[in-house]
Amino acid sequence: MKNNHFFILIALALVMVTACTKTITPPLNYSPQLVIEGVVSDTAGPYHVSLSKTANFYSDNVYPTVSGATVVITDATANVTDVLSEAASGDYVTHAIIGTPGHTYQLKVMLAGQTYTATSTMPKPVALDSVTVDYSVSNNFRPVANYQDPADQKNYYKYSIQRNGKHVNHFQTFDDRLSNGRYIRDKLDCDTGTFHHGDLVKVDLVGLDFGAFNFLHEAEAVAYDNANLSTPATPTSNITGGCIGYFAAQTVSSKITRVR
Amino acid sequence: MYRGYHCQKRTMKTWIMNYSVSLAAIIMLLPGVAVAQQKKHLTISGMIRDMANGETLPGATVSFRELPGVGVSANAYGFYSVSIPEGSYTLIATYIGYRTDTLHIDLKGNLQQDIRLEANSGQLKEVKISGSSSKSRNILTAPPGVQKLTINDVKNVPVLLGEKDILKTIQLLPGIVAAGDGKAGFFVRGGDADQNLILLDEATVYNASHLLGFFSVFNSDAIKDIQIYKAGMPADYGGRISSVEDIHMNDGNNQKFGMTGGIGLIASRLTAEGPLFDHKGSFIVSARRTYVDAFTGLASDTTIKKTKLYFYDFNLKGNYQLDKTDRVFLSGYFGKDYLQLKQGNGIDYGNSTGTLRWNHIFNSSLFSNTSLIYNNYDYNTHFQSSTNNITVGSAITDYHLKQDFSYYLNSANKLDIGLESIYHVTQPGAGTTSATSNYNSIVLQKKYSLESAAYISHEWTATDKLKLTYGLRVSDLAVLGPGNYYTYDPAGNIASNTYYSGGKVVKNYINPEPRISANYQLNDSSSVKLSYDRNVQNIHLLNNSTASSPTNVYLPSTNVVKPEIADQVSVGYYRTFHQNGIEFSTELYYKKLQNQIDYKDGANLVGNENVEADLLFGTGRAYGWETYIKKKYGKFTGWLSYTLSKSERKIPGINDSHYYPASQDQTNHLNIVGMYQASKKWVLSADFVYSTGTPVTYPDGKFAVDGSPVYGYGSRNSQRLSPYNRLDLGATLYVKKTHRIESSWNFSIYNVYGQSNPYTIIFQTDPNNMNRTQVQQTTLFKMVPSVTYNFKF
Repeated sequence: MKNNHFFILIALALVMVTACTKTITPPLNYSPQLVIEGVVSDTAGPYHVSLSKTANFYSDNVYPTVSGATVVITDATANVTDVLSEAASGDYVTHAIIGTPGHTYQLKVMLAGQTYTATSTMPKPVALDSVTVDYSVSNNFRPVANYQDPADQKNYYKYSIQRNGKHVNHFQTFDDRLSNGRYIRDKLDCDTGTFHHGDLVKVDLVGLDFGAFNFLHEAEAVAYDNANLSTPATPTSNITGGCIGYFAAQTVSSKITRVR
Repeated sequence: MYRGYHCQKRTMKTWIMNYSVSLAAIIMLLPGVAVAQQKKHLTISGMIRDMANGETLPGATVSFRELPGVGVSANAYGFYSVSIPEGSYTLIATYIGYRTDTLHIDLKGNLQQDIRLEANSGQLKEVKISGSSSKSRNILTAPPGVQKLTINDVKNVPVLLGEKDILKTIQLLPGIVAAGDGKAGFFVRGGDADQNLILLDEATVYNASHLLGFFSVFNSDAIKDIQIYKAGMPADYGGRISSVEDIHMNDGNNQKFGMTGGIGLIASRLTAEGPLFDHKGSFIVSARRTYVDAFTGLASDTTIKKTKLYFYDFNLKGNYQLDKTDRVFLSGYFGKDYLQLKQGNGIDYGNSTGTLRWNHIFNSSLFSNTSLIYNNYDYNTHFQSSTNNITVGSAITDYHLKQDFSYYLNSANKLDIGLESIYHVTQPGAGTTSATSNYNSIVLQKKYSLESAAYISHEWTATDKLKLTYGLRVSDLAVLGPGNYYTYDPAGNIASNTYYSGGKVVKNYINPEPRISANYQLNDSSSVKLSYDRNVQNIHLLNNSTASSPTNVYLPSTNVVKPEIADQVSVGYYRTFHQNGIEFSTELYYKKLQNQIDYKDGANLVGNENVEADLLFGTGRAYGWETYIKKKYGKFTGWLSYTLSKSERKIPGINDSHYYPASQDQTNHLNIVGMYQASKKWVLSADFVYSTGTPVTYPDGKFAVDGSPVYGYGSRNSQRLSPYNRLDLGATLYVKKTHRIESSWNFSIYNVYGQSNPYTIIFQTDPNNMNRTQVQQTTLFKMVPSVTYNFKF
């Protein structure tokens, strides 16, 4: 529930003339930390694991890549081990692994004498029925993901959006904690004015296990709702060893529509 | 089962141990009572009231010119009783803001003497009292950490949007700090906002704020006074560990019918009061409503335009004097807030309370009060869209029975004994959804508990210099079925689940709460005080959002959530100058807190049956130094208060389990309040507030998730907001001031010099450069002017 804007709006309404916003530059600490992001999907490989360092808040959104790590993914169910090769600086790719629902995957990263490990199990796939567009706000058309949540399991989701073939930098998570077995029509958030008449919208419904979802869910709150968190904290990683990031064995179901 | 039994046994054992120690202390002090009993005394007792409107005057004092050092103050119902040797005396009755009255009495038998005092018109004048009887009042003799404000004290203090507000004004006193502009709640001596016991005619008010904290729920026209305990709570109060705000409603004028009202920019209010049943009773009815929504309609922004936004509240009270010894009161409060955006997203919330009281005077030295109290707080959140209609709510309801006896043994000894029991029913969350909604309807199981307490307290004037108040409160919380009660492993997974049927006791928490305060008068103008108290809290508010959202979950103590406990030691030095014209006090306190509640990262507090699995528990400590100087009389009145303090928490798993500053920690806090009677018509006022910025957690780096920047954070509360400061100015113009009608205009400007005090701070992508991130600060109130017209006839 993103109530932050709601409360600010009420406050605004109360003192229409006096509320104001300005950019400030409080001193911020910066201590570079390792970030690992690894994904195995039920779509065709190769799959990527990326290693980088956090950037200073006040610098550009450019994250220094980390080279020279040994990265191994094991399909513990099929007993297949894949040693990834570094295709570009900080970008490690698989060769043999095939993402299969129900299989459990292990990630192992060795870097500068440290080992980082994670385990993720790919959930049963959930199919996205359709993508529609919500036109209720004239300057903010929003994609709607429509699908049936299976009642027989706990489900964790992430949405990712493309506009005319280009990734939209906004992610969103959802879980069925309060929605088990419902038909879901989820209006997706994106920056106001992202979509225009005639745009092609592609939505991926990504199925996750709890560990990866938990990181992404906390990351979502930190990224878009941090003013409303009384005790913001670095999202909890499902990778052990002391780094930021997540490892996800995930299913992907996509649908496309056009904005009228 | 075995473990539970064992625990219970152990708790019982420690309880008995603690109890014995306290009992021993009481017995050791009792000789004082016995010795004092031996002389033959007569009792004089009665009610102290305002001459014009018959309002009782709690806290008014009675002393005798012939008996220096003897003095009593009227209790919360205006009743006083004092035993003195047979003889002729000059009785002196005083109350701040009232003309001192003296009357001659011949005490030959027990005497019932009601006293009526006349209010001082105009500015507060210096009260000159002959003899040394002035000892028996003022800050020198009050327990440490106690402060009292009457409506008269607050009427000229400038406040936001011109609504005089007693709960906002106490936030200008030392040790009490506001949560910030546009935020509900306040913090006392480093405690949390939910650790304040706010009582309105004895009924608990769970959410004391309207419109997300812009106003308090207390309509000043209906309020008589507020008594604040930051320490040294008498044993009859309990249930919260930080402070008590005991607010009394006016009884209503029992002499003549009258109306009071005000018309402001934001809200208007109207009060009617008058006598009932041939002056044997009286009533007061007060109503208030805002009309911000009338203005939002004028806004050009369509989102604001369709916003629905208002609150209303009613205060009602009636009382009836059955005969000389019996009086009954019925009082109630009903308030509701509606905040709604155009698409139907919104919240509504409100408190309702009802109190039925019966005062009975058994004899001149035994006073009894019986109260039957009901209170309820609920909130609902509504989300609405073409396919999604959701209403989520939560509620807490209390049924409360309370019996207090005050026994005035003699002029040096008073015993207070009482019992109370509160049956709490909490609904932690219930949601209804439409058929096409994304969400299932959900009803979390209600939680039932019975909170009971027994107390005894002895007020003992040991010598004419030393006064002691000590007592013991024993509180018990019984967690009751029906319902499922879970236990959790350290990872938060359910370890066991037991169903308890209706009325079955899940868990009992018995806690002895010793309280003691000592007051030693050094001379006519100075005293030192010392107090120790333990308080226990069994109702906890869960809220991990910074927005002053009323969407809070109240949770009673359960098998997992243990009672919060605070132990506080407080010492102080007090001095008056210029015959009470100037009061000075300085206090030191140290508080130790147990079983404090915090949240795991990403905790789900809404609609979560297993919310306890998302909680963390730890300890805390708070200490500080408060200084207060107040000028009470003359053309210029006002006060200065300064607090130097620290409040810290230690929660396993947070900041490597080290102490870290609590979110409300403010190192320096300064308030200056001044009022100046410029002429017969004009009163000018100003207040200035400065405080160290509260601790916050800021990012120490960023990384990308799907191309979007996400922030990493260092240790909790390691940074601070910029200091908070503002100056408010006010002016009151008394247009007409006759016996018949009184009217005035109040003008004020909040935050005159437009200081940008932060309301929210957002870390976000720079909208002008998607490749960068920026920090945005929103400020709510800069130079907010207001005009209010007040009338009384």
